[in-house]
Amino acid sequence: MFKAIVSAETLTSALDSVSVLVDECKIHLEEDGLEIRAVDPANVGMVDLSLDAAAFESYEADGGLIGVDLSRLEDIAGMADSGQLIQLELDEETRKLHIQIDGLEYTLALIDPDSIRQEPDIPDLDLPAEVVLEGSDVNRSVTAADMVSDHIALGVDDAAEYFYVDAEGDTDDVHLELTQEDLIDLQVGPAHSLFSLDYLKDMNKAIPADAEVTLALGEEFPVKIYFGFAEGQGQVTYMLAPRIQSD
Amino acid sequence: MGNAALRDIAVIEEIPFDDVEGVVAVDAHNWLYRYLTTTVKWTSSEKYTTAADTEVANLIGIVQGLPKFFEHDITPVLVFDGGPSELKADEIESRREQRETYEEQLAVAREEGDELAIAQLESRTQRLTETIQETSRELLRLLDVPIVEAPAEGEAQAAHMVRRGDADYVGSEDYDALLFGAPLTLRQLTSKGDPELMDLEATLAHHELTLEQLIDAAILIGTDFNDGVSGIGPKTAITEITEHGDLWSVLEARGDSIEYGDRVRQLFRDPDVTDDYSFETSLDPDLEAARAYVTDQWGVDADEVERGFERIEESVTQTGLDRWT
Repeated sequence: MFKAIVSAETLTSALDSVSVLVDECKIHLEEDGLEIRAVDPANVGMVDLSLDAAAFESYEADGGLIGVDLSRLEDIAGMADSGQLIQLELDEETRKLHIQIDGLEYTLALIDPDSIRQEPDIPDLDLPAEVVLEGSDVNRSVTAADMVSDHIALGVDDAAEYFYVDAEGDTDDVHLELTQEDLIDLQVGPAHSLFSLDYLKDMNKAIPADAEVTLALGEEFPVKIYFGFAEGQGQVTYMLAPRIQSD
Repeated sequence: MGNAALRDIAVIEEIPFDDVEGVVAVDAHNWLYRYLTTTVKWTSSEKYTTAADTEVANLIGIVQGLPKFFEHDITPVLVFDGGPSELKADEIESRREQRETYEEQLAVAREEGDELAIAQLESRTQRLTETIQETSRELLRLLDVPIVEAPAEGEAQAAHMVRRGDADYVGSEDYDALLFGAPLTLRQLTSKGDPELMDLEATLAHHELTLEQLIDAAILIGTDFNDGVSGIGPKTAITEITEHGDLWSVLEARGDSIEYGDRVRQLFRDPDVTDDYSFETSLDPDLEAARAYVTDQWGVDADEVERGFERIEESVTQTGLDRWT
């Protein structure tokens, strides 16, 4: 059983943060909210999302599992204005999702969850450095780096106590340093890893500019990017594997 | 070339590239040939012709074709043909004759300035020259891609390597891989999109045949090494073999014959292959040297290969999250 009413904005934010990595996903309809975990086909980027029942206008579920084509569902959600409400109801018999937006009824055929790539195991990471900053700072770092290179280095200088972003292109370079004062919080530790901008750019799209974003980093380790949406009732954690420079 | 009629018999399904894992023993001539024809068809010849007028379109082809393997973390092992078997010599001769016909037509097309015809014919007149053979091997070595030299048919050797468990798939467009006993063959490795997986065991089970019977059926239809019996297509071949048991009984019942039938059969059943090879599956390409070789030494237009080299570079260094789980 699954029946819920949610604002278009909240649903769209949730879907967008998953669709930057995968085309299809499984959605767990738990009693206390939705959960999605997915990894991209190359096993480089992972998303772990939860949307609490409190983020919905109304929410009823009893632990079902559905498979969805994300772009389909995003298209439908896109039919609503951001403030509008979207009503979702699962028909267990036909395995279809009935969606209603202001009188518009849409019946979405679901995908067999077994046909969707297996949900990833979450890596067990012990990341020594933690940086808390505004979404807008992530955005300008990624955007500037993308002008010069395909990849970006994220690190923490544990002696001088600042977080830095480095991108080196063929001719131009980008460098940004943010000290404790510029950041919301900084937990210093040895950290320097290189990441593909292809992935980071996509993840960045899903990060609201005013969100408080936590980056957990290590030395040649995946980065964990954590932020909330829907007034803190939704949580997204991205994990991105580093590029390791071949010797 | 193999026999396309085998497609109607083989159990083939498209599989996602992500499901492919391990080592692919690639029939190098078959693979290179595909890239040569497309490169020549779509790229203007100055971009791969040296000052001394030597054509090295193969270098572009290799740089375009390899990233796919690297990106999916699959190890390609390129298996080169040795000397042609005696029977196949006929096929090579007839291909040579066909090429001569194309070359004559090409000369006419050039005279008439028919661009489309020129492009089409140029792609058909491609052959693996001595230079192509040598430069391909050298570039593969720089990219740390393993090479195996087959005593005869590259495809038979590739199948042998999969049977021994040293590789997971044969990579070939050629349906003959099935007859050489390749348990799993990946087709369309040179195309965009997902490959096709040809499954020997499933094929045999589907028709309730043994491999020996499948070979006999193929001989009836016709292979690279023999002309088939006229009037026998895939369906009839299977029915006849099922009914009569083997090649000779079918021929006897029909009053037909196949020249060298027993030798063709032997070529598939017991091809000339070697156990004398070794390779490492973790590759460490020297991209700088490979770039220099292709663009500086052989004068290939850097724009034509940069994307491919970048893709290799990117894929070699990108780790997967599974490393941390």
